[in-house]
Amino acid sequence: MDTLAAVPLVALLVGVLLELILGRVLSPTAKGWVAFGSGLTALAGALALVPPIAAGGAVEGMLYPWDRGISLRFHLDGLSLVFVLMATGIGTAILLYCVRYMAGEREGTTRFYALMLTFMAGLVSLVCSADLLLAYLSWEVIGLCSYFLVGFWYQDPAASDGARKVLVMTHLPGYALLAAILVLYDRTGTFLWTDPAIRQAFTGGLFLLMLVAAMAKSVIFPLHTWIPEAMNAPTPVSALLHSACYVKAGIYLVARMYSLAAWPNAWNTAVVALGCVTMLVGALFALIQVDLKRLLAFSTISQLGYILTALGLGTGLGIAAGVFYCVSHGLFKGTLFLCAGVVQHATGTRDLRRLGGLAAPLPNTTRVWLVASAAIIGVPLTNGFVAKWLLFTAALDAGQMLVVLIAWLVSVFSSVYILKATVSVFCGELPASLRDRQIEEAAPSMQVGMGILAVLCVLFGIAPQLLVDWVVAPAVRSLGFLWAGQVSWLGVPTGPAGLYGVAAATMALVALLAGLGAYSLARRPRVDPVGVFTGGDPLLPADGVVDAADFIGTVEETFRPAYRVTDPDPIYLALWGRLRDLAGCLDRVVTPLIEGHPLWATVAGGAAVLAAIWAF
Amino acid sequence: MTIESVAINWDPAFLGLFLLLFAAVAIFAGAFPQGDRRWWTLLGLLALLVIAGTLFPDGWGRRLLLDAGAFVAAAMVWNRGTPEAARAGRTYLTLLIVSLICLTGGMLLIPEGASPPPFPWNRVAVGLLVIGFGLKLALVPFYFWLPGVAATAAPMTTLLIVSVIDMAAFSDLAHLRMAAPWVFADCRTLWLAIALASMFGGALLALAQRNLKRMLAFSTIDDMGYLLLGVAAGPGIGLTGALAGALGHALSKLLLFGAVAVAEARTGRTLTLESRGLAASCPVSCAAFIVGALGVIGVPPTFGFVGRWRLYLVGAEYGGGAFLLAMALATGVALLYYARAIHRVWLGAAADTALPREPKLVAFALSVLMIAVVTLGLFPGVVMGHLP
Repeated sequence: MDTLAAVPLVALLVGVLLELILGRVLSPTAKGWVAFGSGLTALAGALALVPPIAAGGAVEGMLYPWDRGISLRFHLDGLSLVFVLMATGIGTAILLYCVRYMAGEREGTTRFYALMLTFMAGLVSLVCSADLLLAYLSWEVIGLCSYFLVGFWYQDPAASDGARKVLVMTHLPGYALLAAILVLYDRTGTFLWTDPAIRQAFTGGLFLLMLVAAMAKSVIFPLHTWIPEAMNAPTPVSALLHSACYVKAGIYLVARMYSLAAWPNAWNTAVVALGCVTMLVGALFALIQVDLKRLLAFSTISQLGYILTALGLGTGLGIAAGVFYCVSHGLFKGTLFLCAGVVQHATGTRDLRRLGGLAAPLPNTTRVWLVASAAIIGVPLTNGFVAKWLLFTAALDAGQMLVVLIAWLVSVFSSVYILKATVSVFCGELPASLRDRQIEEAAPSMQVGMGILAVLCVLFGIAPQLLVDWVVAPAVRSLGFLWAGQVSWLGVPTGPAGLYGVAAATMALVALLAGLGAYSLARRPRVDPVGVFTGGDPLLPADGVVDAADFIGTVEETFRPAYRVTDPDPIYLALWGRLRDLAGCLDRVVTPLIEGHPLWATVAGGAAVLAAIWAF
Repeated sequence: MTIESVAINWDPAFLGLFLLLFAAVAIFAGAFPQGDRRWWTLLGLLALLVIAGTLFPDGWGRRLLLDAGAFVAAAMVWNRGTPEAARAGRTYLTLLIVSLICLTGGMLLIPEGASPPPFPWNRVAVGLLVIGFGLKLALVPFYFWLPGVAATAAPMTTLLIVSVIDMAAFSDLAHLRMAAPWVFADCRTLWLAIALASMFGGALLALAQRNLKRMLAFSTIDDMGYLLLGVAAGPGIGLTGALAGALGHALSKLLLFGAVAVAEARTGRTLTLESRGLAASCPVSCAAFIVGALGVIGVPPTFGFVGRWRLYLVGAEYGGGAFLLAMALATGVALLYYARAIHRVWLGAAADTALPREPKLVAFALSVLMIAVVTLGLFPGVVMGHLP
């Protein structure tokens, strides 16, 4: 079993090497198939680990002696397996999609596939690491992959600037994680989180440090503002990194902290509060987007708020809800991003104001989009419904009524912005700007890539026990919680919390109906050239056509104070400006003084040193 | 124990590094002329002196050879032929002389190494050593010669100064740490203060620069602060971290200055923050600059991380949480100025698309060095076995 545990990582690394070695001789399509083959092998290895891990086992072993006295060790338990399956499963489907998506790229495909596979390997290494220093190394490796992939089209200033923001905003908080690891080492003399000594040494300060690092990776308010700028990456990157996997690294870290210490209530409260604020802020900003990928990016922020909230509840059911939601989000948001990629590929734009009527030329993409949209809204028969059901049940079970209300409100918002996107992109007729354009459905391999994820959304919506029994429950148990995993068909909890579950389902249904109601109240007559969505705006604008942008005015007006308060970017920019001013001031004062008069500066410096020596 | 009798077990690693650096400099200078025939003669002489000095047992002979190498480096700066370079060379030379006087004085006062001389000579000795090494390593507040040299000398000359001359001096400081621990233990606060001032001062002043070579010079000062911290902490994780950090620093600076040399030769201009989109014509150099920057900052999986995590740990042990936070902040500032340089100078839309690509040999050399920096970060045991 130890050898089996290494298969996913080794398969991915072999894929990286093959890409680098054969990069010059293979066509972009062939490189895509090599990457897909590598991902598929890794997935097979991960699936082979499911039975032993589900039986309650954990795999431990040593990778290799890294540095003097430090061997890189791995520990693969239920929680690790969730993320390994996500990285290899969703990653492989996305790599299949990439084969045709990237086929037209003239340069950089070797770099692209090598980075995608390195990212997957980095995530596998992160979640399987027993060694905190290896975990940090992997943490930064996936961060660098994200940086390089966002800047894939590096000559495009938007992509380059987005990459810079990603690097700065995710790397700097990473030092909090490193600091926590080093302080733990200083206190215990070990880097192994599996060592019992770690539990004794883990304090609130270290929890905060790790939480800060996790927040930046998982776009938790107020460290979330890098993700909309990351949308200038190729769409498969957005699907794999910025919805399915990369942003889940922080979620993994938060969940893993249950292994490091028994959480006092204050920690749970802090995490739940952060989760609630994040889900609200993400949804509010998603409402006013007119760029399809930016809308999905803010939606990701909101959904990660749900996941964090569930984890913060601190009960077995809460953890289960969080883990189930984490996997579900990876599936449906990955699908939505891939559909957005098809739309952009076919039309050359992601601007909702310039889209419409794509259901006719892109029928299969529309179907896949509708399934994933249903899942993110929480329509029954989809995994999103089960995830929300579990979350509501867990929150009710924990007596967190406020959490339920906020989550319910955010569900309404989610319905509205997803309906807005759906109608703006797929309904009505083609806008004039697209009528002369040859719009083609996605290539079969791309459809299969998206389709697999959509099918899984439905499969885990109808039979969630498949995921719960084999993957979620072992993950919950690996964190020391007792949870029997009592979930039946369609997500109906069969345990004592079932009553709450029914109430939660009712609320989810009400949220859905409220969203539909808002949509139908504002729906334009059939004669409108583009089936528009006003989101409750009763007035037609001067041009007589209501589109996604017109709807924004009402929302912005309504939530103006909230937008002002919840956007931290002006604060970051002000800090950057002050730092540059300080540096400039220092340079203006010190440089002429010291570089202009070197001998006097030597004498003054020497005198200061001698004075200090005498003083000490 | 006398200074002369100390085991010098990290010297093979430094010798290998210096050989690699001289080979790389020869390749770069062959592709992009850094000076006339005299420059090449001086390069040969410098290589001879440094390699002989590193092979020589620790003591006066070694110090003499390495100091002679530093004087040759000053001559290389002067050799550029511009009035600014001559001025920078003069300043460097003058301060080398002052540094030599201070270090000789300091060493003469501590012939017994391990045991301090009587008061007040012990304090005079420490003061002279701090000033001498401060000048040589360009620590705050004695850094003033380095930015001028970096701005006016050829990139490869500057590289030799920051990666060979400085690292040889740093190795000397590490030997002193082993031989005369009291020099550091008695004035630990002063050494820590200089380390912190160099970290922050270097980082903030680097942020203020628009000339890329001056920025790299201040980045060196910033990095020296971290290395000094490790030496001040002493044998164990501190000294190991400092020596690994020094090796990583030299390799990363080779990548950074190599990339700058290529870009300057291709554009025919000094690189500033006003340069744009050079990655379009020099993609390998851009990659080298990015990897070099990540190595200097200490981002895994580069070799820079191997030294840096140890230095953070030492910071936490010696200075507590506040010191660790200060170190992280200084590193954060370093990330900001490097990210700005990468995204303004290299990435983004190209201002000039007609520039030729890097010569194949230079691109190959940069690629090998990048692979080395990452591979050593993933398998640091290869090098760490040669450090104390």
